[in-house]
Amino acid sequence: MGKSLINRKMSKNRLIFGGMVLAALVLLPLAVKNAYMLHLFIMAFIGIVLGMTFSMLFSAGLITLGAGAFYAIGAYGSTLLSTRLGLSFWAALPLSTLITGIVALAIGSIIVRHPGMAFTIISLLFAHVVIQAAGQIEFFGGWGGIIGVERPDPLGPIQFTTKTSFYYLILFLLLLTALVFHALYTSRIGRIWRAIKLSPPLAETLGINLYRYRLLAFVIASSAAGMAGSFYAHYFQMITPEAFGGWLSIYIQLYAVLGGLEFYILGPAIGAVIMTFVPEYLRIAKEMEPIITGVFLLVIILFFSGGILGTLQRFWTAKKTSVLSGKEQL
Amino acid sequence: MALLEIRNLKKYFSGLAAVNDVGFSVNDGEIVGLIGPNGAGKTTLFNLISGFHPPDQGKVIFAGEDITALRADQVARKGIGRTFQASTLFMQSTVFSNVFSAFYRQYRQPGWKAFLHTPKVKREEQAIRKAAMDILEFMGLAALGGELATNLPHGHQRALGICIALATEPRLLLLDEPLTGMNPSETMEIVRKIRQIQEKGITILLVEHNMRAVMDLCDRITVLNYGRKIAEGTPERIRKNREVTEAYLGREEA
Repeated sequence: MGKSLINRKMSKNRLIFGGMVLAALVLLPLAVKNAYMLHLFIMAFIGIVLGMTFSMLFSAGLITLGAGAFYAIGAYGSTLLSTRLGLSFWAALPLSTLITGIVALAIGSIIVRHPGMAFTIISLLFAHVVIQAAGQIEFFGGWGGIIGVERPDPLGPIQFTTKTSFYYLILFLLLLTALVFHALYTSRIGRIWRAIKLSPPLAETLGINLYRYRLLAFVIASSAAGMAGSFYAHYFQMITPEAFGGWLSIYIQLYAVLGGLEFYILGPAIGAVIMTFVPEYLRIAKEMEPIITGVFLLVIILFFSGGILGTLQRFWTAKKTSVLSGKEQL
Repeated sequence: MALLEIRNLKKYFSGLAAVNDVGFSVNDGEIVGLIGPNGAGKTTLFNLISGFHPPDQGKVIFAGEDITALRADQVARKGIGRTFQASTLFMQSTVFSNVFSAFYRQYRQPGWKAFLHTPKVKREEQAIRKAAMDILEFMGLAALGGELATNLPHGHQRALGICIALATEPRLLLLDEPLTGMNPSETMEIVRKIRQIQEKGITILLVEHNMRAVMDLCDRITVLNYGRKIAEGTPERIRKNREVTEAYLGREEA
């Protein structure tokens, strides 16, 4: 009885907190007039979506280093649909998300069969192949990329010409993704993923087809990354292979690690925001920035395992239990 | 009627026969013991039956159906539950979550409805929560529901392993050394529970080193040594079997 009361109070607090964060995010463009700042928020939000896709695979016991690949596939798919077929963004966004999902189904049905280190390495190689293909094959625009991607058509009275309009668009896509992911995590599908992550053989004895559920996570996560890619292409109005290569997939993983691996939505959110803004403010020390960022991350990972949220949670539960045991003594 | 029938099973590991031409059957409602010295092939046999390893030869028939080629998850869905020798649990989950997550076959609402959290899905989950609590109650772990599995003492972890297997509602339950590391009173408790599980109509195949418990529980016993079946019969007959005594105690030089 007492326990459910605490739970109810906690979920009520959570709702209030969530509502406040949501209000702040909606009102943010009113306070932030600086276009560059808004741009950073837009990039951070893309980062959150990508980080969440890493976390979804992690929740099913898969560690990917290829999240950037599906981001690229979504961006290229959407770009080609719009530049070659003349589709509007509003058609290209869902279509490229779907295309990315289909590619993920094809690729995933092969590589998800080899979980563990093999999966991680193959995902990394796949990301590399995608970038190389985009750069080498003329149809995909080569290393110069593709320019002239159309902005989204006006949506009623809303024109997509300002940073503010794109801010609201990506905020909507981010919240949509978070909502869908949350619904999955709190359903039995999320429990099945967790079972697979915690003990594959035990999960099998429950009757769970590991391969199918891993593939499901792979397809859903990759589709979301593809959707983010489509947004990116129409926001920048141009794409180049480099935008998706290099350290991107590593960074996506770091968002989740920094924020807290066990927090599949809030972890990447906090990680991506920090990793977008902190380096910006370190720009003063220009060429030192990557070094400082790197050392900062090392410290977090080495001394605050569980990430920022994991560390906070440990402090919180430690405090709570000590209070409780104090009461019991009385 | 034979619920489980094993015919001429063979499994080689790098040329060595871990299970060599073993065959026996388990009748509906029985408790059958599988004993033998360490390395006799008991756990390998469990892995062959439950689909974790494909056998090199032979057949596994369950409820009249050939399940030899099935994967572990397919075997589980046919109604064979199992526990593991080393405590294999969802260590970082609570005791309750371990059992709650173990329900999988019972969901009738489709996955997309689960994703939408429809009222029917919520009712179904509520019923499954209750069923999970009932199992914990039955095995005497209800009070520990909020504890992380990794923090449990060894005996309780074993009991939790059985809870998880029970949540799959098996027709046949394979128990791999359920009494290891338990003190005498815990042992008595689990032996009683195993009897009650049998009374619920679940057939049991038991690997165990505690001979008193095996003799006490089992209707029939199969003895393995070096991967081969060396004896089979009622506990009384096994007790008197010379080859079995030799396998355990070594040959007496005359």
